[in-house]
Amino acid sequence: MSNIRLIARLDIKGSNLIKGIHLEGLRVMGSPNEHALHYYLQGVDELIYMDCVASLYGRNHLGDIVNAAAKDIFVPMTVGGGIRSVDDATEILRVGADKVAVNTAAVANPQLITDIAQRFGSQCMVLSIEAKQVGPDNWEVYTDNGRERTGLDVVEWVKRGVAMGAGEILLTSVDREGTRKGFDIALVKAVSAEVAVPVIASGGMGKPEDVLTVVNEGGADAVAMADILHYKRAEIGDIRAVAENAGLGVRHYEYA
Amino acid sequence: MSTPEVTVIDYGVGNLLSVQRGLEHCGAKVILTANPEKILTAKRVVLPGVGAFTNAMPALESLGLVAVIRELAQRKTPLLGICLGMQLLLEESDEFGVTAGLGLIPGRVIAVPDRTLSGVAQKTPHIGWSALQASNETDGWQKTLLQDNNPGEAVYFVHSFMAVPTDPMHRIADCIYGGHSIAAMIRRGHIMGCQFHPEKSGEVGLKLLRRFILQ
Amino acid sequence: MTRDLIKLYNLPCEIKFCKKCTVSNQRPRITFDENGICSACNFAEYKKQSIDWSAREAELVALCDKHRKGNGEYDVIVPCSGGKDGSFVAHQLKYKYGMNPLAVTWAPLKASAIGRQNLDAFIASGFNHVLGTPNPQVTKKLTHLSFKHLGDPFQPFIYGQTNFPLHMAVKYNVQLIMYGENGEVEYGGDMKNAFRPTRDIQDHNSHYFSGLPPEFWTEHGVSLADLYPFMAPKLGEIEKNKTEIHFLGYYKFWDPQENYYYCHEHTGFTVNTERSEGTYSKYASLDDEIDQFHYYLSYIKFGIGRSTSDTAHEIRDEKITREEGVALVKRYDHESPKKYYKEFLDFCSITDEEVNEVIDSWRSDHIWHKENDEWKLRHTVWSD
Repeated sequence: MSNIRLIARLDIKGSNLIKGIHLEGLRVMGSPNEHALHYYLQGVDELIYMDCVASLYGRNHLGDIVNAAAKDIFVPMTVGGGIRSVDDATEILRVGADKVAVNTAAVANPQLITDIAQRFGSQCMVLSIEAKQVGPDNWEVYTDNGRERTGLDVVEWVKRGVAMGAGEILLTSVDREGTRKGFDIALVKAVSAEVAVPVIASGGMGKPEDVLTVVNEGGADAVAMADILHYKRAEIGDIRAVAENAGLGVRHYEYA
Repeated sequence: MSTPEVTVIDYGVGNLLSVQRGLEHCGAKVILTANPEKILTAKRVVLPGVGAFTNAMPALESLGLVAVIRELAQRKTPLLGICLGMQLLLEESDEFGVTAGLGLIPGRVIAVPDRTLSGVAQKTPHIGWSALQASNETDGWQKTLLQDNNPGEAVYFVHSFMAVPTDPMHRIADCIYGGHSIAAMIRRGHIMGCQFHPEKSGEVGLKLLRRFILQ
Repeated sequence: MTRDLIKLYNLPCEIKFCKKCTVSNQRPRITFDENGICSACNFAEYKKQSIDWSAREAELVALCDKHRKGNGEYDVIVPCSGGKDGSFVAHQLKYKYGMNPLAVTWAPLKASAIGRQNLDAFIASGFNHVLGTPNPQVTKKLTHLSFKHLGDPFQPFIYGQTNFPLHMAVKYNVQLIMYGENGEVEYGGDMKNAFRPTRDIQDHNSHYFSGLPPEFWTEHGVSLADLYPFMAPKLGEIEKNKTEIHFLGYYKFWDPQENYYYCHEHTGFTVNTERSEGTYSKYASLDDEIDQFHYYLSYIKFGIGRSTSDTAHEIRDEKITREEGVALVKRYDHESPKKYYKEFLDFCSITDEEVNEVIDSWRSDHIWHKENDEWKLRHTVWSD
């Protein structure tokens, strides 16, 4: 088992870092670069940049986002939002991303997953899923920044996506994200149990200890954190310390 | 004293900007090119790579770069293959059917095991930070790119396939995944490879890049 | 039969879109300046640049000091629905300004599940509350009539939303009614109250009732007794009570999206699971299943659908750019309500054919034309 990764998730609109609740609301938190650099220096393992409104607005500004990413960051970056073709993915990888995350376009055309995986390798192709609970044990896939229903079952869709070549899953709980009520453990568990690729749990982190539950009970391989970091409720170091003290495998980071 | 140059091969497959930024951050002047002349006369060369072996080799072929890279090996130009770039140095790969590589380091590329040594299923691709340790046969890292690093330092891996050099002396550093040793850093003469991404491994990786610039 | 909307609503014949936001000059009572910018956008600039908000807050504090009773009796009526705006007003007045509000809700025509949930959460967060529910049979009848004759099923709700707080103020001997924002001023309309915190009670006929107060429906066979709950108290009673209607938007910088964040934190407000029909938004106007038809008829009458309204204020509040707003309008504005269509037909005792007849009767020739047998807008914000 790989070390658990502590990932900072930045939702981006235009040139701003934003943070919503339940994928709604565009409250500006500040400069994406400044936040990203701070997280890098604090020892974050990876960064995720999501242009959360790209599909909703029918546009693609990712090149700008990635180009504007801080020049002094040397950890992996996953970039998603509005990636609709292999060309889009090519461009994003060329300008600095390590992995691409796709949601809306993959639902519309699952073949895109395979095309990207074959061209760049599965490890580059992150299937991003917005999951909304619709029953005690089921969740529905949403697209367009939590706006459009698809009728797809999350677990079925994840299995299909992995079979088509996705190398990693970014699983966002629409119900929990921005609420600070903790991760949707049942959701993460249901997905982790079914796939042999790494699962990144996203949405709802309230306190540093939430990492422990989502990994130990949910089976997550990584956690994506947004609200807790952007609102400065905890630093990466606090979360890493909690994980290390509890015996959770995380990379050891030396603070300069 | 002039700025050391590093030539990065741009063959249409790879995260060039990160490699470029990493090297520049470490004080190099970076030349991105697919021009055979420029590559042949380079002081030191990086072969990056993201994606599939089956795309990368044809890309190099079509640009006439396979012969160029083999010639670099003849000239003993320091050559660093990163991630897929390291895998290309080997003789052949199993990814999407058997494909021939550059053949500069004997060995093959096979899939990362999907079961641990004790038989439990494990996730692939291998994604994340793993600690480096000295490979069994190696003589310590003093004469390698890892001379400024210490065993136990973690670096970032993201790969589904791994290189298995035939000659254990070509393995410098390994990481452990599910009990299996994965070749993390290999070397044969001036030809070096790291399976992990030094440009994505924070300060730990940058130390390696700085060392490469001094080759 | 198509009605003469130009005459009825005093609309300009030539359609123009605001250069800054997405609204057109077809919104009744809105004005555009010589630079093609609408009054709401100009007001938004004024809000940002020229208002001394600390002075305004001082006025609010003085107003509260004047009305605060401190003896357990209510001292302010806050009309609300459980949505983000009324909840914000109530919570602020109680917890920040030390008032004792009575929250009053006029029952939605047909309450949505999320609306009821949000109202319950709001009340549970700590408020005294009164729900006014008129006889649902009368409501249905009025909804049917106003849809047929006014092209707006929402009229009965608007009567109550406007008049019920006036009743409650009189009954509870409360002088102060505090609404959220003045829609005429913030979203474009009669700017007469742009620089004052209040509105005149007599204006509700023209500003909210399209010139037709509840009494009008006696002409259609509804008895005065049935109309009584929808009607305002006698003007004399209102004046004797010294009722004043104020807008919190005058005293505090009004930002509806920030109200969402606030209410999520303080009053248990939660967004809808999916976007509302006709728009991209999940946090606004969630309470009533009949709501969508009001917005859709506005789209038919004026070419201004829900996305236009939502994007216009989000542009002014600097959440989105005009370019983004236009993309959203193009994508969602035309969407006709399907989710509760069957419920709507049942509620209004009306058939699908009748609905289409009504809808088409409100398509003004200056806004709509037929292209390949399909109705199309002559002018759109994305092509003009």
